[in-house]
Amino acid sequence: MTDFDPEKFEEKYVHYFPQLQRAYKSAFETMNEEYDSTLIHGIDQQILNESEPVYEDGRFRIQLPENPHDRLTSVVVDDEKLDATLERYVEELEAEHHRVFGVERP
Amino acid sequence: MSTEPQDADDDLKERVTNFLRRNFPQIQMHGGSAAIQHLDRESGEVSIALGGACSGCGISPMTIQAIKSRMVKEIPEINKVNADTGMGGGGMGDDGGMSPSFPGETTRDDEGDEGPQAPF
Repeated sequence: MTDFDPEKFEEKYVHYFPQLQRAYKSAFETMNEEYDSTLIHGIDQQILNESEPVYEDGRFRIQLPENPHDRLTSVVVDDEKLDATLERYVEELEAEHHRVFGVERP
Repeated sequence: MSTEPQDADDDLKERVTNFLRRNFPQIQMHGGSAAIQHLDRESGEVSIALGGACSGCGISPMTIQAIKSRMVKEIPEINKVNADTGMGGGGMGDDGGMSPSFPGETTRDDEGDEGPQAPF
């Protein structure tokens, strides 16, 4: 288990790259099994590529780009379905971050 | 033709390539690739395309952010990094084509218009 240091997370891509990879990959695989693969790929490639995990107040949060709906151009999906799937994806990503870094949610 | 010396361009390209190879060996290890598509030495803007298994491995969004975040810090001449997997997420217009791929699957076969390919 990673000995998590919040200060080092400021430079997460230097200090915690393998852990972040693990978290993203696990979340992606879970979502890919549960939801439409095309939609998950679209979210992955066109929305999450401008996202960033941040750690504050004892928990991980995924910062999404401002206009996720506009970014998704490769998949036709209604807003409601996209919102629900994206919300679930973000939840899964945050849960994976807590799991991978061994940090319990407050 | 650019007025920039070719040597300087090549040098910066090589440093970008080395940066990727040194800091992101996982791209190759996981069956992906990273190619410099465009490098503007004057503005310090570079465009990188992740391909192969990167297109659908689930790690590429974070890898893209990592490349963007680190490269501008570690290569002073680089001010802006555009990186994507060719699905149009990088902000530039494209044809909207989509070809999902999965870990271990390599689907890169119609490339070869310009720019050197990173050796991984």
